[in-house]
Amino acid sequence: MSDEYENKKGYQAQSSETISSGSGGGGSGTVSDADYVRPSEVPEQDLYHGHSFITKWIFCQDAKVIGVQYFLLATFTGIIGLILSWLMRLQLGFPEAAGFMTAEHYYQFVTMHGMIMVVYFLTALFLGGFGNYLIPLMVGARDMVFPYLNMVSFWMFFIAVGVLLASFFVPGGPTGAGWTLYPPQTILEGTPGSGMGILLMCISLILFVAGFTMGGLNYLITVLQARTRGMTLMRMPLTVWGIFTATVLAMLAFPALLVGSLMMSLDKILGTSFFMPTILQAGEVLEYGGGSPILFQHLFWFFGHPEVYIVALPAFGIISDLISVHARKNIFGYRMMVWAIVVIGALSFFVWAHHMYVSGMNPWFGFFFATTTLIIAIPTAMKVYNWVLTLWRGNIRLNVVMLWCLGFIVTFVNGGITGIFLGNVTVDVPLSDTYFVIAHFHMVMGIAPLMVIMGAVYHWFPLVAGRFLDETLGKWHFWLTFLGAYSIYFPMHYLGFIGVPRRYFEMYDSPYVTSAVGMNEFISMAAFIVGAAQLILIYNIVRTLKIGKPAGHNPWQANSLEWLTPSVPPEHGNWGEKLPVVHRWPYDFSVPGAKEDFITQTTPPSEVAGTEVEKT
Amino acid sequence: MSDTKKQEQASTHKIGIYLWIWGLLFVLSFFSYLVDWYQFQGLLRWSLILLFMFLKAGLIMAFFMHLFWERYALVNVLLWPMTAIGCFIFLMVAEFEYTVFTRLFYFVVGGQ
Amino acid sequence: MSDPKIEGYEFKPGFKGMAKDTGSDQTMFKGVHWGKAMMWIFLLSDTFIFSCFLISYMKGRGSTLIDWPNPSEVFALHVGGVDVPLLLIAIMTFVLITSSGTMALAVKYGYEKNRKMCGWLILATAIGGLTFVGMQAFEWSKLIEEGVRPWENPFGAKQFGSFFFMITGFHGTHVSIGVIFLFIYAYKTFKGHYDEEKRGWFTTIKGNYVEIEILGLYWHFVDLVWVFIFAFFYLW
Ligand code: HEM
Ligand SMILES: [Cu+2]
Repeated sequence: MSDEYENKKGYQAQSSETISSGSGGGGSGTVSDADYVRPSEVPEQDLYHGHSFITKWIFCQDAKVIGVQYFLLATFTGIIGLILSWLMRLQLGFPEAAGFMTAEHYYQFVTMHGMIMVVYFLTALFLGGFGNYLIPLMVGARDMVFPYLNMVSFWMFFIAVGVLLASFFVPGGPTGAGWTLYPPQTILEGTPGSGMGILLMCISLILFVAGFTMGGLNYLITVLQARTRGMTLMRMPLTVWGIFTATVLAMLAFPALLVGSLMMSLDKILGTSFFMPTILQAGEVLEYGGGSPILFQHLFWFFGHPEVYIVALPAFGIISDLISVHARKNIFGYRMMVWAIVVIGALSFFVWAHHMYVSGMNPWFGFFFATTTLIIAIPTAMKVYNWVLTLWRGNIRLNVVMLWCLGFIVTFVNGGITGIFLGNVTVDVPLSDTYFVIAHFHMVMGIAPLMVIMGAVYHWFPLVAGRFLDETLGKWHFWLTFLGAYSIYFPMHYLGFIGVPRRYFEMYDSPYVTSAVGMNEFISMAAFIVGAAQLILIYNIVRTLKIGKPAGHNPWQANSLEWLTPSVPPEHGNWGEKLPVVHRWPYDFSVPGAKEDFITQTTPPSEVAGTEVEKT
Repeated sequence: MSDTKKQEQASTHKIGIYLWIWGLLFVLSFFSYLVDWYQFQGLLRWSLILLFMFLKAGLIMAFFMHLFWERYALVNVLLWPMTAIGCFIFLMVAEFEYTVFTRLFYFVVGGQ
Repeated sequence: MSDPKIEGYEFKPGFKGMAKDTGSDQTMFKGVHWGKAMMWIFLLSDTFIFSCFLISYMKGRGSTLIDWPNPSEVFALHVGGVDVPLLLIAIMTFVLITSSGTMALAVKYGYEKNRKMCGWLILATAIGGLTFVGMQAFEWSKLIEEGVRPWENPFGAKQFGSFFFMITGFHGTHVSIGVIFLFIYAYKTFKGHYDEEKRGWFTTIKGNYVEIEILGLYWHFVDLVWVFIFAFFYLW
């Protein structure tokens, strides 16, 4: 086996002499003391280079390829989630046109839409997709530290998606219990998919967690133990910080989901009573007894709330970098931003039961969880201020990437404010399970992170493919998506206020029907348009791959390492012969006294002597 | 990190310390067994069980898993997340007491 | 263990050292092998899994109105005409701690490059683990004979069997996986893979005795979990 692994000569550890003579630039050994960087303590990594099509592109161990694989599979799953949402909107807006859909179908679509979007789309895309592609590049590593495990991680995800989608084709169809899967109804007859459907869902989640753990260990150890010379934690781009912290959350939160899924499967297959109290089903007393349904809710939300930050933190990180690069200004309050990410991450383990105010839990909990929930709003708000302050007096390039960034800030503020409403028990009780909650979390974790993904795609596409995406098409894409998404979710706040409940197949003849009907039609129209607008992006990508404008090296004049690879797109091993040496943070933009408006992370101090660079 | 030079430098611990810890673990296990043997009840049983448990866990982590000798950076990374579990335990105690209360109240007392 | 030597880096003790390590470039855990760091983080995640199991058990046991079976009686063993409470469990605990001790020594001899000693100790650990799994199988079959099932049992609350089989089953799975790896590593040690720095399977990282420590961490963790299960499930 081992002889398959080539030990490339150029990748051998450099001898200590060349190292102590400082960074790459000097050569003759006359490098000034200021440029000195401690020698390498991490040995060079040998990489397995694929030889055939299969080892190069399918069972590939290169984190960049794995990242793209994750990205594509997550997007594919996301498109299924999008189609499901169209079907739901068809039913809500135009019930006559959706005659083929029964209430059972509707519940199944709601459930699968929610689960797909949160776990299989956003989580996989941010951590698996962006994480894999960007972490090794941004910290200056050759690859993830355990490339083989990384590959297995993707294929576990692949199987998990397969099992999830298989549940559409089993008798009874997928589960229709809502993405929160609350027992007892989840596994009782009458709930669609209470047989095979829920079982496959649990299995798929367990596989996802197992696969993610393999990937997650990679991301964490790469960030902690495999940075390049000079790369301190406080010189990492915020993107890496966001993804890193989100991965920590995932490693600690997914266990609760795993345990919950396992126990639910046992309740279903073996008839244990973990979550099942004594209960009647169609008038008949079941064998179950004495279990605790609320325990599942606690387990689920002990996972569920960190999960929303697993999606949000990478988005926070990425958006910070995009704003900084395209406003040509250093990120305002870098350290504060890092600490905010860490604090939000830590606090997110202490707020979970704010999703359970109406569940009948111990009434004292409302007090505890409302307090912790509102505390979390502080670091979150700090981040928003810092983004705005980064823009302030920046040399803003109003390109498509920047548009997505601005769209994100607006949407996120909107969703964050409704979060404060919902965090207060007395306000939440009437709003719970209405469209107001739907509006809140779609704004804050649906649309806002989606904007970030879009911005990131326009930003990093030149790196991945070597060509610029088309700006005009991009602007169409942005405005249709942004205005469309607002048309969808903004009215939903109002629907929530008048009391329209979520997860209802139809409104029957409740008093709010009259005012809700017209609005529902409008929302549905907008939803169709927004969904279709995503075709513009797909067209843009296909077109660009053929005739796009070549990007060349570092097209955005960014500072971070991923743009400084010897070849674009970067090759396996990322850095050619020599690893980069880092001298500064990635945010030295528009430094007074400097020749250009950016100073890359690898620029040694002697080259920028006399400028007012930040000390990092 | 598979650096042989480094390993040769890393000194290992004297065998005595392992044997000591090993012996202590047996003794502590024996003690916790005695708690059951003598059928201690109530608070005494509780505190003894927990005391022996934490001592055993601590010894295993500190010496067998070498945490005592690891640098603080690693130790702290490993121990701080436990506060989340601590919070979870604390709240779930409150929760099961409330569940029992409601069950007794509605099923036994009859919700009067 | 004294701090490793790293060129150009001066170690500081205590919290000062922690701040310095964290603030430095390249690595945060100075001198810690990638695999070892990974194992630690994995174990942290696994701790959360077992914690969730035990917390669920606490919540389940705490909120049922039906009496919980008395573990001291249920797990008693009938020896020579008398019921000895928890005898089997006591022996299992004894076996597992023994194997933990041999593992700790294996790690020590590994670092001293004492191939033979290290290999035999790993083998002893594996056999200890195997004995444990065997006794657990015996315990399971005894309970099943007495009518304990995951969904019901003759002694009291239904959840007793559910949690018992699930938690000990999950722990037993961990032990079994550990035993398999112990045998593999014993083989690799005897073959001298760590002395020759032979690459392992599915990795480009060179073989090194630190791998024994990594395996040891896992094995001690399994023992650690048993300490908690013993206290909460059998003694409570
Ligand atoms: C200012 C910060 C925030 C506060 C105070 C807050 C508060 C809340 C509260 C109290 C609920 C429960 C509403 C109910 O079910 O009655 C909720 C739901 C939700 N929040 Fe937030 N939130 C905040 C930020 C976020 C962020 C950043 C995300 C994700 C990126 C997010 C995602 C969600 C999701 C997905 C739900 C709904 C889950 C469901 O029931 O299906 N929230 N939020
Ligand atoms: Cu939440």
